[in-house]
Amino acid sequence: MIAESISNFFADSWLLWVLLSIGSLLWWSGRDSQYFNYVFNRYLLALMTLLIVSGIVFSLMEVLPGDCAEKYIAYKNTQGETITQADIDAERARMGLDQPLAVRWARWVTDLTLRGDLGFSCAKRQSVNLALGDRFWMSFMFCMAGLVFSYLIAVPFGILSAFTINKTWTDKNPQHSKTERIINSIGLSCQKVLDLVLRIVSYLGLALPNFLLALTIILLYVFAGESMPTGLYSDEWRNVPWFGADGFSWGKLDDFLGHIWLPIFVIGWSATALQLQTVRALVVDESNKLYVDAARARGVDGVALWAGYPVRHSISPLFNSVGFDFQRVFNDLPIVAIVIGLTDAAALLIEALAMTNDQELAAGILFLVALVVISMNFFTDVVLAAIDPRVRKSVLGN
Amino acid sequence: MMINQSMNDKLLEIRDLTIDFNTDEGLVRAVNNVNLTVRPGEVMGLVGESGSGKSVTAKTIMRLTPGNAVIQHPSQISLQHENRDLNVLKLRGRDLRLVRGDAVSMIFQEPMASFAPALRISDQMIQTMQIHLGYSKEQARRRGIELFERVGIVDPEKRFDQYVFELSGGMRQRAMIAMALSTEPKLLIADEPTTALDVTIQAQVLDLMLELREQMGMAMIFITHDLGVVSKIADNVTVMKKGEVVEAGTAERVLFRPEHTYTQRLLDALPHLEDLPEAPKHTPEPLLSVKDLSITYPLAGNGRKTEYFTAVKNISLDLPEGQIIGLVGESGSGKTTLGKAMLGAAPISSGQVEYFHTQKEVKFGAGMKIKRKRLAQTAQLVFQDPYSSLNPRMTVRDIIAEPLEAMKITKTREETDARVIEVAKRCHIEVEHLRRFPHAFSGGQRQRISIARALVCNPKFIVADESVAALDVSIQAEILKLLKELKEELGLTILFISHDLSVIANLCDRVCVMKHGEFVEEGTVREIFLEPKQAYTQKLIASIPLLEAPDKTRLRTGAQVAAKPVMETL
Amino acid sequence: MNALLARFGRKSKPQNDDSYYTAGQFALIKARFKRKTSGVVAAWILGTLVLMGFFAPFFSPVDPTIRGADADYRRGAPQALYFWDDNGFSLRPFTYTYTKEKPKLDLSALAGGNLNALDALTSGGALKASSQNKFKVDKEQRRYIQFFVKGWEYSLIDLSVGGLDLDIRWDRHLFGVEQGQIHLMGTDEDGKDVFSRTLHAIWVTISIAIVALIVKLLTSLLVGGVSGYFGGRVDAILMSVTEAVRVIPAIPIYLACAVALSQMDLSPIQRYFAIAVVIGALDFAALGRRLRTHILTERNQDYVLAAQLCGSGTGRIIWRHLIPSFTSYIIVDTLINFPYVILAETSLSFLGLGLTEPVNSLGVLLQKAQDPDIQQNMIWQFFPVAVFVFLIMACVFVGDALRDAADPYSEKK
Repeated sequence: MIAESISNFFADSWLLWVLLSIGSLLWWSGRDSQYFNYVFNRYLLALMTLLIVSGIVFSLMEVLPGDCAEKYIAYKNTQGETITQADIDAERARMGLDQPLAVRWARWVTDLTLRGDLGFSCAKRQSVNLALGDRFWMSFMFCMAGLVFSYLIAVPFGILSAFTINKTWTDKNPQHSKTERIINSIGLSCQKVLDLVLRIVSYLGLALPNFLLALTIILLYVFAGESMPTGLYSDEWRNVPWFGADGFSWGKLDDFLGHIWLPIFVIGWSATALQLQTVRALVVDESNKLYVDAARARGVDGVALWAGYPVRHSISPLFNSVGFDFQRVFNDLPIVAIVIGLTDAAALLIEALAMTNDQELAAGILFLVALVVISMNFFTDVVLAAIDPRVRKSVLGN
Repeated sequence: MMINQSMNDKLLEIRDLTIDFNTDEGLVRAVNNVNLTVRPGEVMGLVGESGSGKSVTAKTIMRLTPGNAVIQHPSQISLQHENRDLNVLKLRGRDLRLVRGDAVSMIFQEPMASFAPALRISDQMIQTMQIHLGYSKEQARRRGIELFERVGIVDPEKRFDQYVFELSGGMRQRAMIAMALSTEPKLLIADEPTTALDVTIQAQVLDLMLELREQMGMAMIFITHDLGVVSKIADNVTVMKKGEVVEAGTAERVLFRPEHTYTQRLLDALPHLEDLPEAPKHTPEPLLSVKDLSITYPLAGNGRKTEYFTAVKNISLDLPEGQIIGLVGESGSGKTTLGKAMLGAAPISSGQVEYFHTQKEVKFGAGMKIKRKRLAQTAQLVFQDPYSSLNPRMTVRDIIAEPLEAMKITKTREETDARVIEVAKRCHIEVEHLRRFPHAFSGGQRQRISIARALVCNPKFIVADESVAALDVSIQAEILKLLKELKEELGLTILFISHDLSVIANLCDRVCVMKHGEFVEEGTVREIFLEPKQAYTQKLIASIPLLEAPDKTRLRTGAQVAAKPVMETL
Repeated sequence: MNALLARFGRKSKPQNDDSYYTAGQFALIKARFKRKTSGVVAAWILGTLVLMGFFAPFFSPVDPTIRGADADYRRGAPQALYFWDDNGFSLRPFTYTYTKEKPKLDLSALAGGNLNALDALTSGGALKASSQNKFKVDKEQRRYIQFFVKGWEYSLIDLSVGGLDLDIRWDRHLFGVEQGQIHLMGTDEDGKDVFSRTLHAIWVTISIAIVALIVKLLTSLLVGGVSGYFGGRVDAILMSVTEAVRVIPAIPIYLACAVALSQMDLSPIQRYFAIAVVIGALDFAALGRRLRTHILTERNQDYVLAAQLCGSGTGRIIWRHLIPSFTSYIIVDTLINFPYVILAETSLSFLGLGLTEPVNSLGVLLQKAQDPDIQQNMIWQFFPVAVFVFLIMACVFVGDALRDAADPYSEKK
C-alpha cells in the first residue's frame, strides 16, 4: 500500500525529479569547475526561457476562439442533448476554466514539469501527448533530414563560393606568361561562373518560398502526367505493415523513399539558400584575417590552408546556429505539409490552429518545438564551450 | 657583429619593384621602382611612415601581396637559394614554399592575430616543421619545445600546447619568433615586431632578436618606423616615402649624416634629450588636487562571486596650474583611468577630485554628484584614437560646436560659428574644412579637430590621453608643437598621458610614473630622466631604444656624452 | 534637426570635386551602391514594379474587381498581341475578337432527373474544364490597341485626410482595345482580368509590407533601445522575453493571431491593417536584439564619451549621436527584410487566413495556384507567381547590394 503510493508519487512527478537531479548534478560539479558552473547557469537560463515560452504560448492560445467547455458541450449536443448557457457555465467551472489565466497557466506548467503532461485536447477528446504521439517525431525527423540536406549542400558550395569571391574574371598579372594567363583566365572564369550560378540558385531559394517550390514540383508532375508523390505512401502500400509475414517489406521502403524525398527536398531548399549565404559570409570573414596570411607565409597551402584555417574557424558559429535553423525549417513545414499532404505534427498544428481551434494541441506542439530549439541551443553552447577555445575564452574568461 | 665576409654575395635582390593597387579610384601606385639588396647575415632596416609601402615590399618577397595588387613589369626579385638564383616572382604552386617558410620567414606585427585562435600553437608549429623539414611529429615537437626554451619562454612544455590568447603579449611575440625560426630560414622579415609591445618588453624582445641573429647568422629585414630601434639592430638602412626609396646606406651614414630632407625631417621630429626643459623656477599653485582616489571595476562575473579589479589605488596628487604634466606607465598601469576620473568619466570608489580657481566650485568624488556642466567648462579630454572619438555623422563644425550647443553657452548660431571659427584657426584647421565630415581627414587633422572641440568652451585643464600614439612621427611633432603653443598662449594646464617616454621628455614640465595603479615616482623631467630614484623608473628609462653611435656604445643623455645624440620615440 | 536641414541643404548644392569630403553617410552608400551592377538592375526592376503597382489602375486595362469581370470571357486564355498576320502588317498592335462557343449541353434532359442523361453529360466531356474555355478566334475582326483610353474612373492619388479633399480622380488608362476588353494574361473563373489583378495585388502586398515594417521598426526600436540604453535588469528581462519569442516559430503565431482576427467583425481594410500590424509587431526579436547590441557597443564608443564630457545630456546623446549612428543601418536592415515580410503575408494568405478572395493580394492570387483545376487548365493564372518571384528576387538583390554598400556590420572609418 505504502510502496504503491510512493511509486505512484514518483510516477506522477518523474520529470521534476529528472530535471532536479540534472540541475543539482550540474550545481555540484560547478562548485569548483568554471566550465560546469557555466553549464549550470546555461541550464537555468534554458529552463527560464522555457517558462517564458510556455507563458507566451499559453496566453497566445487564449486569443483563439472557443474553449474546452464549449467544445465539450458542442460534442454532447451532437449526441442529442439540449444545452443551456447554464450547462456551459457549470462545465466551465468543473474544468476550472473560470479561473484566471495565471492560475490555469500555473496548473498547465505544473502538470508539464511534474510528468511531462501537455494537457488534454478537447477537440480530439484525447490527451495531447497521445494525439501527438509519433507525429511529432515524424516532423522532427523531417526537419532534421531537411537540415542535413541543406548542410550537405550549403557547406561545400558555400566554401567554394567564398573561395572565388575576391577573384577576378581574368588573369591580368603581368608576371605571368601569355599561355599561363589564358589557362588561368579559363580556370578563373569557370570558378566565377559556378559562383554566379550558386548565387542565383541561392537567391532563387530565398525568393521562391517552400510552398511555391512544392507547387512547382507538383505542376511538373501534372505536366508529365504522373501521379504526384504526395503523402508518405501510395495507397497500395499504406496499410501494409513494415514487418509482414514474409519478413521486412522492401517494397514499402521503396515506396516510402519515393515519397519522402519531396518533403525533405522542399524543406531543405530555402534552408540551403540561407545557409549557403551564411557559410559564404563566415568563410570570407575568416579568410580575410591575418592568421590566414601568417599560415600562408609559413608555407601552408592548398587544401590544408583552407580546411585548417578559415573553414575550421567558421565551423563553430555555423554549429551554433543549428537551433535557430531548426526553428526556421519548422516554421515552413506546416505550409509545405499542407501542399504535399503530409499528416505530421506540422499539419496537425495548422489543423488545430486554423480549423478546430484546438488550443491545447496547438500549445503542445508549439511548446515542443520551442523545447527542441532551446535544447539544441543549450547543447551547442555547452559543446562549443567545451571544444572551441575562442568560445571558452569568451564565456569562461581566461 | 656579422658585417659581411663576402660582400659580393647577394642573398636577396629586388630590382625596380613596382606595385599598383586596383582600387575604386583606379590604379594606385603603392611601390615605385624600389631597389633593395640584402646580403647573407645582413640586417636591413626598412624605415618609413604608414603608407610608405614598406610592408607591401616585404610581403612581395614572400609573394603575399593582396589580391588587388598588380606587380608591374620590369620588377624582379631574386633570391640566392642552395647556390641557385631563384626568380621569386616566377615561382608557382609548391615552389612558393621556398620563399614561404623555407628560406624566408616572417614575424608579424600583431602576434595575437597571426596565430589561428582555435588551434594550439604546437599544432601550427609542428605543421610548419613537417612541411619544410619533413620532421616526424615527435621530432617536431621536441624541436619546438627547444625553440620555445631558446626564445626565453618560461615553462616551454606547458606553453607549447596552449592557445595564443593564453599567453601574455611578450610571450606571444616570443612564440611568433620561435615559429619563424623553426624552419631555419636564411632571411627573416620582421614587420614592426616590437611596435605593439610595452617599452620594457620591447627592449627584451629586441635583445632576444639581436642575440638570435648573432647565434644563427641569418639575414633580416627589419621593418619599423622607429629610428631608435633601427639604430640598435640594423647594419644598413633604407628609408621609404610614398612607395619610393629616398635614402639608403649604412646605418651610421643614414642616421648620423642623412642626405635626404625626408630622413632629416624624420630625425628632426625626434625629441632631443640633451635640451630637456628646465624645471620652472617655482611650482605654481595647484589647479586641481586629487585626494586618496581609488577606482574599482567589477569584473564580468565568471565565478559565483563578483570579483573587483582596482585600476587605481589610493592616489593623491596636485597638478600645478599652467604646466604640462606627463603621466607615464605601461599598459594596464591605470593611467588612462586616472585621467578619466579627473574628468568624472570613471567610477570613483573612494576619494575626491577638486578644482581650484574656477568660477563656481567644481568638486566631486565618491558619493558626490558631478555637476557636469561646470566640470565640462573646466576640464576637457583629447582622445587617443582620432577615428573613434569623432562622430562620423557630424560635420567638423557640428563636432566642434557640440559643447557650446549642448550646454547652451552661446546664444545665437552666429555667436557659435564665430567661436568655432576662432578655435579652428587657433588649432590650424582651415575654415573651409568645417563643412566636411571627419572621414575626409587624416589622423593628424582629426586630432586637431579633437583638440579644437576640447578648447571651444575655454577650459582650464585638458587631459590628453595618448593623443599622439596613433600618429606618425612627423605628425606627432606638429601636434606636440600645437599643445605647447596652447599652453603658452592660453595658460592651459595639460595632463599628458603616454607610454612614450621620449614624447614626454620633450613636452612636459613634470612627470608622474605609475605602475599597477599606484604611484611610483613624481618629479621634474630632468629628475625623472636623469636621476630616476625608483628601480621601476630606472628600468623604464633604460628600456628606451636610443639612437646608437657607430661604435655601438649606447649613448645616454647629453650630460654624459659629448656627441649630440638624438632620442627616439618608441 | 540642424544637421538634418544642413544635410538636405547640402544636397541641393552643385556637386564638385569636394563632394567626397562633404558627402554624408547616405551619399557614400549611394556611390558604393551604384558600383554594383546587379543591384542597380534589380533596383530598376523593383522600381518599375512598385511604380506599376502604385499606379495600378492607370496601367491596368480592366477593372480588377467583379465589376470589371468579363462575363463573356471566363476562364479565357491570354490574348496575344500581334503586329502582322495573313491580312497584313500593322504598326499598331492588335488582337483578335474572341467569342465563346455555345456549350452543346442539353440541360433539359437533366431537369427530369434522368440519371442516364447525367452520365452521358459527364462522360461526354462537355463538362470537362478544358472544354469550357474554348473560344473561337475571329481572325478577320482585329481589335487595335489604343493608348490613354477612357475607362472606369479611379482615384490616382488619394490624399484625403480628415476634412481635406485631395482625391485626384482620373479615368484614363495606359492602354486598352477598341471594343470590349483586352486580357493580356487571360482571365480567371469569374472573368476577372489576371493581369490587372496582379498589378493591383502588387501594391496591396507592398503596402502591407511597408506598414508591417514600420510597426516592426517601432517595436524593435522600443525594445532594443530601452534594453540597450538602460541595461541591467531591464535589459535582462527584455532580452529573455525576446529570446523566448525568437524560439517560437513565427508562422504559427501569425496564424493564431489571424484566426483571432477572423473572429472579429472587421472590414477588409481593417483586417488588412490588422494583419500588417501583427506581422510587424511579432517580428521584433532579431532586429531588436541587434539594435540593443549596436547601442551597447556604440554607447562605449569614444565619441559618445566625448559628447558626455562636452556636457550633452542623455536625450541629446540619444538624438544627436546614437540615433544618427544607426539610421543607415536601420534603413538597410529594413530594406533587406522587405522580401521576408512579403513572404509572411503571402504565406498567411496562402493558408486562407490572411486576406481573402475579393481582395487582390499576391498571397490571395498565389493561393489559387494550389487548385488542381488551375494547375491543369488555367496555367496562365501562374502569372502572379512569376511576378511574385521577380519582385522578391529584385528585393533580395537590391537588399544584398545595399548591405554590401552600407556594410552596417563593420562601420569603417
